Amino acid sequence: MLDLSSRTAKIVFGSAAILIALFLFFPIYWLAISAFKPNAELYRITPTLYPHDPVLTHFATAFGRGNLMQQLRNSLVVSCSAAALNTLLAIYAGYSFAKFRYSGRRLVMVFLLSAQVFPFGLLLISLYPIVTSLGLIDSRAGLTLSYIVFALPVSTYMFYSYFTQVPSEMIEAARADGAGELRIFHTIVLPVSIPAVVTVFLYGFMWSWNDLLYAMTLIVSEDKRTIGPGMLLAYLNEVNSDWGGAMAASIMASAPIVVAFAFLQRWFIQGVTAGSVK
Amino acid sequence: MTMTSVEGSAAPMRVSAHARKGGLKAHERRVGRLFLLPALAAFTLVILFPFLRALAVAFTRSDLQTPEPIFVGLANFRAILATPEIIGAFVTTAVYVGLATAGTVVLGLGWALILNQSFRGRAVLRAVTLIPWVLPSTVTAFVWGWIFNSRFGVLNAALVGVGAIPYPTAWLSTTGGAMTAVVITKIWFSIPLFMSFFLAGLQSLDREQIDAARVDGAGNFALLRDHILPHLRPVLLVVIVLGVIGNLQHFDTIFALTGGGPVRATSVLSIEVYRRAFDQWDLGMASALGLLWVATIMPAAYFYLRHLLKGA
Repeated sequence: MLDLSSRTAKIVFGSAAILIALFLFFPIYWLAISAFKPNAELYRITPTLYPHDPVLTHFATAFGRGNLMQQLRNSLVVSCSAAALNTLLAIYAGYSFAKFRYSGRRLVMVFLLSAQVFPFGLLLISLYPIVTSLGLIDSRAGLTLSYIVFALPVSTYMFYSYFTQVPSEMIEAARADGAGELRIFHTIVLPVSIPAVVTVFLYGFMWSWNDLLYAMTLIVSEDKRTIGPGMLLAYLNEVNSDWGGAMAASIMASAPIVVAFAFLQRWFIQGVTAGSVK
Repeated sequence: MTMTSVEGSAAPMRVSAHARKGGLKAHERRVGRLFLLPALAAFTLVILFPFLRALAVAFTRSDLQTPEPIFVGLANFRAILATPEIIGAFVTTAVYVGLATAGTVVLGLGWALILNQSFRGRAVLRAVTLIPWVLPSTVTAFVWGWIFNSRFGVLNAALVGVGAIPYPTAWLSTTGGAMTAVVITKIWFSIPLFMSFFLAGLQSLDREQIDAARVDGAGNFALLRDHILPHLRPVLLVVIVLGVIGNLQHFDTIFALTGGGPVRATSVLSIEVYRRAFDQWDLGMASALGLLWVATIMPAAYFYLRHLLKGA
C-alpha cells in the first residue's frame, strides 16, 4: 500500500522492518539455540551467535528433572477438558444470543461479556474457597472448571458474531419442516460452524495451556502440577539456574501449541478479530 | 416462508403444539433461554458468585487470625488509603500499563503496515509473527529472563559490545531495569494480537481511494495521515481498550520474572492482590484492593462493552 520506490522510503521502511523483526524473532531464535549449547558455551560473557558444539544434554536433563513428561500430560488433560467444556458452554449461549429474542437477553449478554474485565486475580480469591468447598481443590477437575473464567466470555462472543452471519432462513425452513430445536442446531447450524468451533477450542486451549496464576494456586500436589508452575519451580527457584535445561523444557512445552497454531492460525485470527473491526 | 403459513399448513405436531401454548414467540423465548442455561449456570458458579463473594469479603476482616469474617465496614479501604506501598502499587500499575500499551500500539501498527505490503514470504511471516503470543507465560519469562540475565545475557553483551553502556546492567535487580524488562516482555508477546487487529483494519481499506489519493500526488506520509490512520481510528480504540484491560490484569510474566521486586519496583496491582491473598492470607484486604482494581478497569470496560454490543 505504501510506495517504496524512493530511496528514503526504502531506508526508513526497511530499517523499521528489520528492527521490529529482530525484536519479535530474535528471542525465539535465542531460545531455540540456547537449548543446544553445552554449558561451557552457554555461560560465557560474550555469547556465541549459534551453537558451535551442539549437544542434546539439556533435553536429557529436562526430562529427568521436575517430571516434565507428567506435567505435559497434566497440561494436556486439563487444557483439552477446559477447551472442550468452554466450547460446549459457549456454543449454545452464542447461538441463543444470535438467533433468539427474549426479554433479559441483552442484560445477560452484558453480564457475560463484562466478566472478561473482572480481574482474574480478584476472582481467584473467592474461587479458591469455592473450589475447596466443592472438594475440588488440588484437582485437575477444579482447575479445568476454573479455566472457564478465562475463555467463556470472549468465546461466547465469538460464537455470537459467527452465528449472526448464519442465515436465519435455514433455521426457519427446518423449523417449518418440524425439526426439533436441538436437531436443527446439531444437523444444520453446527456443520457450517466448524471454523468457529475450531477457533474457540483453540482459544480455550491456549489460555489453559499458557496460564501460570491459576495453575500455581489451585494445584499443590507435585503429581498434578501443570507445565507453567512446574517449569517455574524446577528452574527459577534455584540459586544457580539451569538455563540450558530451562530452554530445552521451554521448547517441549511450546511445541504443542505452536504446532496447533501453525495449522489453524488463519481461521483463528479471523475468529478472534471478528466483530472488532467494522 | 413466513411463520403464519406454517400454522396454516399441515404443520407437524411439534410446531402446532408450541403454537397452541402461546404461539411461536413464546416457543422462541423458551428455547432461547434453554440454550443459554448451561453457560449461565457456569458463569454464575465461577464468575458472578466469586465476584459477589469478594464484594462481601471486602467489608470484613478475614485473615489467618480471624477465620470467621467480622464485618468492619470501610476499614479495609481506609487502611489501603493509609498504606503508602499500596498507593505506590497504583502508580506502578499506571506506569506499567501506560508504557506497555503505548509500546504495543506503536510497534503493532508499524508491523501491520509492513505485513500489509506485498512481498514474497508474507504469508509465512504473518503466521510466525503469532509465535510470541501463543507461548506459555513461563516460557516467555524464561526467554526474557535469559536475555536480560546480568552476567551471561545477550542484551548486556550486545549493549556493551556496541558501546551503548560501559559495563553490564543488572536488569532484573535494579528498579528501572526491572520495570524496563517487564514492559518489554509484555510488549513482545502482545504485538502479534495488536498487529492482527490493525492488519484486519488495513485490509478493509478502500483500494480505489488510496489509488486516487496517490494519483493526486499524495506521498506516503500524507497517505498515512489523511487516509490510513483516520480509517484505523475505530480499530485503534478497540486495541487501546483491549490493551489497557489486558495490561491491568497481567500477572504471569511479571511474577515469573521479578516477583514484583526488586523492593516493589514492579509490584503492580495483580501482584499486590496475589501477595495479600495467597502469601499473607489477608482476604479482606485483598478483596478490598481487588475491588479498587476493578474500579480502575471500569472506564476501559465501558467503552469495550459498548463497542461489542453495538447492534446486539
